[in-house]
Amino acid sequence: MKKRLAGMGLAAVLALSAALVGCSSQSSTTTPAPKQQEAASGTAPASGGNSGEKVLTIASGNDIVSFDIHDHNNTSTEAVHVNMFNYLVKKDRNQKVQPDLATSWEIVNDKTWRFKLREGVTFHNGDPFTADDVKFTLERVAKDQKLLEYGNYKQIQEVKVVDPHTIEIVTNESEPVLLNRLSRLGSGMLPSKYIKEKGWDEFLKNPVGTGPYKFEKWERDDRLIMVKNDQYFGDKPKWDKLVFRAIPEDATRVAELLTGGVDIAVNIPPSDLERIDSNEGTHTATGPTQRVMQLTLRMTPGTVTENPKVREAIDLAIDEKAIVDSILAGGGTPTRTRVTPGNFGAEPSLYNTSLYDPERAKQLLAEAGYPNGIDINFSATSGRYLKDKETAELIQAMLAEVGIRAKLDLMEWSKFNETYKAKKFGEMFMISYANSMFDGSLAFDRLTTERAKGESDYSNPEVDKLLKEAEKNMNLEERAKQYQQVQKIVAEERPHIYMYQMNANYGVSDKINFEPRLDEMLFADEITLK
Amino acid sequence: MRQYLLKSLLQIIPVLFLISIIVFVLVYCTGDPVSLMLADTATDEDRAILIAALGLDQPLYVQYFTFIGHMLQGDFGTSFRYDMPALPIVLERLPATFELAIASMLVATVISIPLGILSATKRNSFLDIFFSGCSVLGKAMPHFWLGIMLILLFAVEMKALPVSGRGSFENLVLPAFTLGTGIAAEMTRLIRSSMLEILNQDYIRTARSKGLLESIVVYKHALRNSMIPVVTIMALQTSTLIGGTLITETIFSWPGMGQLIIQAVNARDMAIVQAAVFVVAFLVIISNLIADILYRVLDPRIKYN
Repeated sequence: MKKRLAGMGLAAVLALSAALVGCSSQSSTTTPAPKQQEAASGTAPASGGNSGEKVLTIASGNDIVSFDIHDHNNTSTEAVHVNMFNYLVKKDRNQKVQPDLATSWEIVNDKTWRFKLREGVTFHNGDPFTADDVKFTLERVAKDQKLLEYGNYKQIQEVKVVDPHTIEIVTNESEPVLLNRLSRLGSGMLPSKYIKEKGWDEFLKNPVGTGPYKFEKWERDDRLIMVKNDQYFGDKPKWDKLVFRAIPEDATRVAELLTGGVDIAVNIPPSDLERIDSNEGTHTATGPTQRVMQLTLRMTPGTVTENPKVREAIDLAIDEKAIVDSILAGGGTPTRTRVTPGNFGAEPSLYNTSLYDPERAKQLLAEAGYPNGIDINFSATSGRYLKDKETAELIQAMLAEVGIRAKLDLMEWSKFNETYKAKKFGEMFMISYANSMFDGSLAFDRLTTERAKGESDYSNPEVDKLLKEAEKNMNLEERAKQYQQVQKIVAEERPHIYMYQMNANYGVSDKINFEPRLDEMLFADEITLK
Repeated sequence: MRQYLLKSLLQIIPVLFLISIIVFVLVYCTGDPVSLMLADTATDEDRAILIAALGLDQPLYVQYFTFIGHMLQGDFGTSFRYDMPALPIVLERLPATFELAIASMLVATVISIPLGILSATKRNSFLDIFFSGCSVLGKAMPHFWLGIMLILLFAVEMKALPVSGRGSFENLVLPAFTLGTGIAAEMTRLIRSSMLEILNQDYIRTARSKGLLESIVVYKHALRNSMIPVVTIMALQTSTLIGGTLITETIFSWPGMGQLIIQAVNARDMAIVQAAVFVVAFLVIISNLIADILYRVLDPRIKYN
């Protein structure tokens, strides 16, 4: 009896081991093991190992969201998509608009733009690219309110097909930033015939674009593989294969880079920069982004920050350079405006400068009638932005130096976001905004009297008027001046105190050349083997 | 036996029902998915449109019954993040997690059986005390720390194994070891005490008094019987592993359920969270049931009712 039972116990152990063998052998047959091993074990990337195949492997902190280019608002997803999809116009490294799928364009009237489309372009499935595809793509996102990018395209009223290679985009109002809109997230051209015939679900599984690389395989939260498109209309693709890996843990991503498992790792924590630079075979690359860290102050009657001298004192008490150097390991630039260089309407005199002056800050507080200092509430995120918690704590200490006792409330992002959307913060909160439109308009949308209500409660009729005019002004020179004027006023009145522009940090293999872009896009063909 | 099985299976239904309520309420209490989905530029109007489109403007109980109704048809809703049905996305991840769970269990078995036997047979010796110390350490070591240390040692310094990812056998070694050690620590102690108990039984004394070799007494007579509770514990641990590999999967960027759940929680992708928790709960219930049955089969002293 006992023997029989014991035998059963052992059989169970054996069954478990057999299951394991089954599992591991299955995994090596269902997945293309040699290729993956190549990428994973670090023998192949960049150089291509034995096969002579040129493979570029890039590790991000998160996987792409989806192939629905209209239904996400995620920069790191767009950074990958740009290798598969083309826009009508694209921005070069200097943020100048260049032809892409459109070869030329003209303004017909205030509300109509005409685009000439490139001829002889085919999608990855062989369908030719025509005006119908443009109409299909842009009208989908301009009309479907459920799409996350709808808000950025609802300005488009209609896309008219003039002939197979000419279109006219008609907007509801005059639209000076149309080219900026069309060269960003949500503007990739989709194959209308393929989607209409096969359906949207099929497209999401087997996406097709016109870009230099075509889809091969996507294993969610693991890797996305693209291969070169020999039929590409532009310069011949430089890599045979692109591998985008999702590695959420910072330490793991850095370790992959150090061991040669990946060629580029994005989002490197400042504390690891030195380690990557001192390691043989890797270096770091850093570059400015569109993200600016700022404080939003309340001008609501009854708050201490209603007093302009208090707001100025807060501004003067913060040493932005010290934050950037000590917390971000130099990865940032102090700024007094959110419209940083590369954006339409930037005001250079407010960039790369700081007003740090603690003595004057103390004086201002005394002048404002608070010789013994003040107490304010200060809310910030924890874990949402690079070193946000540390930055907020340092600001708290800097403010204390001049007599501003800030009660710091650090919140996890979703909690912060709820309070933020409900407009329930106290005198001050810290947040960072990006600007995918590369245009001044977006930088001030929270500062119009209407939008600022309940948040900063800022209201300046002159600013409202300038912004309203600039929004529809087709005279670009005048428009830029309007935004510059607004920046000067805001820097003086301080409903927002802009602190620093954040850099993006990359770890890079010495085998390749890589220079970060301001828009954080990862165009594979701008990355080359040394 | 058949009656017992039927009863157990029927008991699953109210349990799952309860889980569905808990999952639903918890997810809705923890955050607002819409604010996370919308761009900074979105207006209140855009927000209202999205809320209506997702059905979030309905009263909570209406949302719950809609949820349950769809769930009964195998529809756990559409993932916001992937814009696809949630259940297939979750099921797609099961093989990776199973693979890791079974490999970890194998690591745990291979470590714990010899150590457990040695500790028991050499009771209170230096080795016994040393292994006991190791098992306390093994249980106390956090997975994320152990995982990163293993990466630094075996991947970065020695370059012997890949850092992360899934695909080859080498990829499996470090995460399986990270997860396996904690279980091994627990199992070593269990095997040790179970073995000690059996070594004191009459039939072992009889065997010894017959003049059998000590190794035969230990491996032929004692080991087999001391494995019975171990097998039960292994089944229970496997079920915990399936749901509890979150941190390890994230560290090794192993594309399994754990990583999926973490990412879904971060993105407030409620459909995925609900489907994943449900699948995990279901698997835990099923494997507990199997363990229960196995235990009864192995030990006839336990009655079926």
